[in-house]
Amino acid sequence: MTSTSTDQPRKTLPARLGLSGGAAALKVRFIGVIVFLALLGIAFSALTPRFATLDNGRSILFTAAILAVAAVGQAIVVLTGNLDLSVGAIMGMAAYVIYDIAGQNPVLQPYVVVLAILLGAILGAFNGFLVAVLQIPSIVATLGTLSIYRGFVSFYANATEVTSGQLPPWMRMLATASWFGLPAYVWVALAIVITTAVALRVLPWGRKIYAYGSNPKAARFFGLNSTRIIIGAYVAAGIIAAIAGLLLGAQVGNINSLLASGFEMQVLAAVVIGGVSIWGGSGSVYGAAVGAIVLATINNGLVLLQVQEYYRLLIQGAAIVAAVAVDALVQRRIHSATTRRRIMEVVE
Amino acid sequence: MRNVTRRYGWELLLVVLIGLAGIWSSTLSPYFLDPVNLLSSAQFFVIFSLMAFGLFPIVVQGEIDISLASTLAVGSVLFGQLSVAGVPLVMALPVVLGACAILGAVNGFLVAYAGLPSLAVTLGTLGAYRGLAYILAGDVGVTGITPDYLQLASTWVGIVPLAVVMVLVVAVFFWLLMARTAFGRYSYAIGNSAGASLMAGVPVPRTRVLAYTLAGAMAGLAGLVWVSQYQSARGDNADGSILFVLTAVVLGGVSIKGGSGRALGVLLAIILLGTIQTGMKLANVPGTSQTLVIGALLVGSIGIPRSIQLFRQKFGRNKPRASVRPAATVA
Repeated sequence: MTSTSTDQPRKTLPARLGLSGGAAALKVRFIGVIVFLALLGIAFSALTPRFATLDNGRSILFTAAILAVAAVGQAIVVLTGNLDLSVGAIMGMAAYVIYDIAGQNPVLQPYVVVLAILLGAILGAFNGFLVAVLQIPSIVATLGTLSIYRGFVSFYANATEVTSGQLPPWMRMLATASWFGLPAYVWVALAIVITTAVALRVLPWGRKIYAYGSNPKAARFFGLNSTRIIIGAYVAAGIIAAIAGLLLGAQVGNINSLLASGFEMQVLAAVVIGGVSIWGGSGSVYGAAVGAIVLATINNGLVLLQVQEYYRLLIQGAAIVAAVAVDALVQRRIHSATTRRRIMEVVE
Repeated sequence: MRNVTRRYGWELLLVVLIGLAGIWSSTLSPYFLDPVNLLSSAQFFVIFSLMAFGLFPIVVQGEIDISLASTLAVGSVLFGQLSVAGVPLVMALPVVLGACAILGAVNGFLVAYAGLPSLAVTLGTLGAYRGLAYILAGDVGVTGITPDYLQLASTWVGIVPLAVVMVLVVAVFFWLLMARTAFGRYSYAIGNSAGASLMAGVPVPRTRVLAYTLAGAMAGLAGLVWVSQYQSARGDNADGSILFVLTAVVLGGVSIKGGSGRALGVLLAIILLGTIQTGMKLANVPGTSQTLVIGALLVGSIGIPRSIQLFRQKFGRNKPRASVRPAATVA
């Protein structure tokens, strides 16, 4: 590096080096996930002939669909450098409460999605209020709301279930429908992923989330309202989680008060494996969706190989730690690349 | 006197709240205030207390460990398996506590030396250790624990259960550890500013690893209590109890951002939570709805002081004076 610096303009080279160093590391991170997915696919197809079939591919995507939707919402929050552990509780609450209300008032059945958006926005806003206004660390705040929301559902449910007969028929049909050779849920998930990705890229709301996440202090000096950004991220995450809850509820059929409990682990695993940095500011919702497919593939392959269910937890946990470790390396690479540039500029 | 209220204000508040919760519970059942009943109800909170004291130094250092309940599961299953295999308790105790300490140390190394965020690390190991516990326990779990492992739950010192005595000993240990040793001083220093502590020569990574190791061992000890109280061990033991544990630590006045908090506060918080939960049991509140109250306490114990502070900042009359006063006292 130092040898080439003599025959190039002094100012641009370090800048370029620094930028390409960081950007390259991030690109490698995303490609890494895809390569990992491919390797998984190869390994599983070599181990069992039942893996590499069209039907199995469909079933993987179907499992991944709901997880991907929830992961997209979580990714928005993680991009701000926070976490949402209450995602599973929001899903469960949305599914139980909304389907219960709609089951008792059939007039409301066409509007369940609107209700989900409302409920998700309220629950998300409460999370955001705790994190942004009261400045409770997100892990503690959402661990608290996890139990508040979950406790509320069990209080509301009073040990009863919402049966599949109470669900809106069109949601039931959506859960089993197949469009253009793929389950309808996969298309729904794809639509949500793309909409969110475009929103994050195009809308000022999305750009602010990235700006705040990559450097909260700088964002504040730049005049961005951090409170509003965080609450906005949590509201979006809450809405998406509530929709994911509706999808899961319609798929499951009979909904009890424990629906989707513990789901936050899988969702966070998907987000982290998909390359959304836990420090905030970098990563994409596409990555989170790919992370969901990776997890679904692992689960599917392990089931086909008849590996005990428990190993899944072990592998999932190890995958989170490994992914965060890789992120730490990437982070360090970016850091060293950018600080080197800064030092060079000062020297000049 | 004013000094005492200032320094121990949080603890005094907890004592008042315990009193109120006690009065509320005794209106629900005349048997609540019976000392034998009180002490035997206290047994239910021994497991949480041990984990809470283990978590206490970690939170003081500004970190977190949400994998403790999974470590407990591994510990309880190991105790169960060793008991069934005929290993006497005296030999099993160091082995299992050592194994759990290693699980904690793995967290510590990943946080302190690899520089990974403690939340992500322990979220990963929360799942991984839980999986490990399931694998060790098998599908049906471990039953048929031998009597020597059960003594802890069945032994009473006078009218006090031995397990409760153990919690008091542990409380004193952690009070001494945090208030009287270099480890404790380092922990508070790290919690206030890890960077400054490092520059001041505090062995930051080593202190962190030590805290996590200790927490792992405490979870292992809690695993023994679990085995003795429930006479079985399964992979899903204590699943979700980290909520109660973290609530106890935070409610005890340990700042979640690190740097402050006392063992006495943690102990009082456990007593308060225990009283409330026993009261809810007497009032026939279902267990799943009890989590709502605990969660609200977790959020409220941080959120209410913060909102009072915010309210004062916004509407307080002595706002301009506040910035002058420190300078005046220095002069």
